[in-house]
Amino acid sequence: MTASRLLGAVLILLAAAAAFSAQSLVVPFAADPLGPRGFPTTVAAVLGVCGALLLIPRGEPFAWPERRLAPWLLVAAMAGYALLLAPLGFLPATALLAGLVALVFGAAPLPALATGVGTSLLLWALFDRLLDLPLPRGGLG
Amino acid sequence: MEALAALGGGFAVALAPHNLALALIGCVIGTAIGVLPGIGPLNAIALLLPFCLALKLPPESALILLAAVYYGSGYGGRITAILLNMPGEPSAVLTTLDGHPLARQGRGAAALAVSGVGSFLGATLSVVLMTFLSVPLARVAVAFSPADYVALIAFALSLLGAVSDAPAPKAWAAGCLGVLLALVGVDSGTGVERFTLGSLELLGGVEFTVLAIGLFAIGEILLLAEQRVRAEAAKLGGGRGLSLRELAACLPAMLRATGIGFVIGVLPGAGASVASALSYTAEKRMHGTDGRFGQGDLRGVAAPETADNAAQIGNLVPMLSLGIPGSGTTAVLLGALLMYSITPGPLLFAQRPEVAWGLIASMYIGNAMLLLLNLPLVGLFARLLLVPASVLYPGVLALSFAGVYAVSNSAFDLLLALGFGVLGWWLRKLGVPLVPIVLGFVLGRMLEDNLRRALALSDGEVLALLHSPVSLALWAMTAAALLWPLFRRRAA
Repeated sequence: MTASRLLGAVLILLAAAAAFSAQSLVVPFAADPLGPRGFPTTVAAVLGVCGALLLIPRGEPFAWPERRLAPWLLVAAMAGYALLLAPLGFLPATALLAGLVALVFGAAPLPALATGVGTSLLLWALFDRLLDLPLPRGGLG
Repeated sequence: MEALAALGGGFAVALAPHNLALALIGCVIGTAIGVLPGIGPLNAIALLLPFCLALKLPPESALILLAAVYYGSGYGGRITAILLNMPGEPSAVLTTLDGHPLARQGRGAAALAVSGVGSFLGATLSVVLMTFLSVPLARVAVAFSPADYVALIAFALSLLGAVSDAPAPKAWAAGCLGVLLALVGVDSGTGVERFTLGSLELLGGVEFTVLAIGLFAIGEILLLAEQRVRAEAAKLGGGRGLSLRELAACLPAMLRATGIGFVIGVLPGAGASVASALSYTAEKRMHGTDGRFGQGDLRGVAAPETADNAAQIGNLVPMLSLGIPGSGTTAVLLGALLMYSITPGPLLFAQRPEVAWGLIASMYIGNAMLLLLNLPLVGLFARLLLVPASVLYPGVLALSFAGVYAVSNSAFDLLLALGFGVLGWWLRKLGVPLVPIVLGFVLGRMLEDNLRRALALSDGEVLALLHSPVSLALWAMTAAALLWPLFRRRAA
């Protein structure tokens, strides 16, 4: 199965889910003729048709794109950041994230540490000192 | 001249010291992100939008800043294209064809100068056209009924498939995804919760900045982490500079490119990439015998760069006058205005002249600033290419999250932005264009609201959508745009 056809199948499932979920929307009294259901159902139908069109095999098979571990490391680091930002505070959390991203992009450990610390200090100076925008202070305040 | 009087009012806004400073900051940021591969105007504006909101900039100042980043990026993309043979922006692809050979021959400085002048000329002449065309276009659109608007938005969305490089069903599917995302939250018309999956945080809908930063900034970095490409820069220094005679020889090409670029830009759906490709091809056809196109012809640099900037400005015309963005970046600018509760469209020029005319006036000033910045400082901007990926991308990523957090103060939105980032990364890998998602997102609610109004006026009679000549013509064009990909595939 080519990636393109798998995408088509996923889109059809998504369209079906959206259309199904739209049918449960009810308004006690009909204020306007369209209601909350009509438009999402129509859009879901169009999405489903697009998905079906992708199922038709085309000239050249669309190969699976290359897969590597690096982006998933980044995803894990970012998810950790979202959860740790408030408890740790902006400076340590951001230094940790930026340092990890630098490692993923091929920096050696020491430069990565410098990038992490530098990035977080720079952004902190920009947001907190210069622009006076709220950042989480965390335990280190 | 009514337009000139209004423009005068606009200059009063644009010349205020803080707005001048914002335009300059925008121009510098715009050129810089144009230079850097992997960060385009779309991500940059998405990243700056939270700052505008958090700093409570008035809407006209925010728009002046964000628009300067937008048209400034058209000046930066060429630097990377010429020196690295790698387009800093998608619309600079054609610039590489002659620009990089010129740089290899030691004439990089001349190529940069001629493209800088071309960018300025294309942008400024287009702003002049915009000054006189926007209000007449808005007047036409004032007479549009809700049914006409439904047809216009449907046409704009159908064009996505016709002009996209990707297979049409993928572009349309992306547009539908954007529309469905726009429907998440409490429906303004009926008060019903839609697609919230029971989450309290989603009751207010998906925040536009979260979607744009996630899809474009975070998604791009995930893609870059997977690919890891880095090219070697050609030397800038040495070689003859640009002579006046050479510049004069390029002038006709620049004027033609301005015309092509502006017209293509005004059409919804077709963007700067199409314009620069068309104008390059046109010049190559005209000078096929006497030119050295492909081996380093200055006109081959001037034409696409001029058309690129002219189209960028042209893209703003339907966004301001009709409220229909013609490209992904103008969709983000429209989203920015919507976050300020300003709806661009026919009434904008009458109701918020300081926003509409302030922006137009600031573009005259901004383009002059860009020319002055770019001619002497081009070497400084080119230095940005020396910043290693392992320093640049951690900064961009941290800035993305800090920006999302500054607007929403919620860990939920950080995770949502990450989710959109993963979505954008995977869709890109699967060859699904992302621009239709933002277009669908900003147009989706507008489409439903107008549909609702049209059907309320007609008491639910669906055929009333076809009653006016304008809507009939637009539906016919929509049908043509939907069928076009079939013929295109046969021809290819």
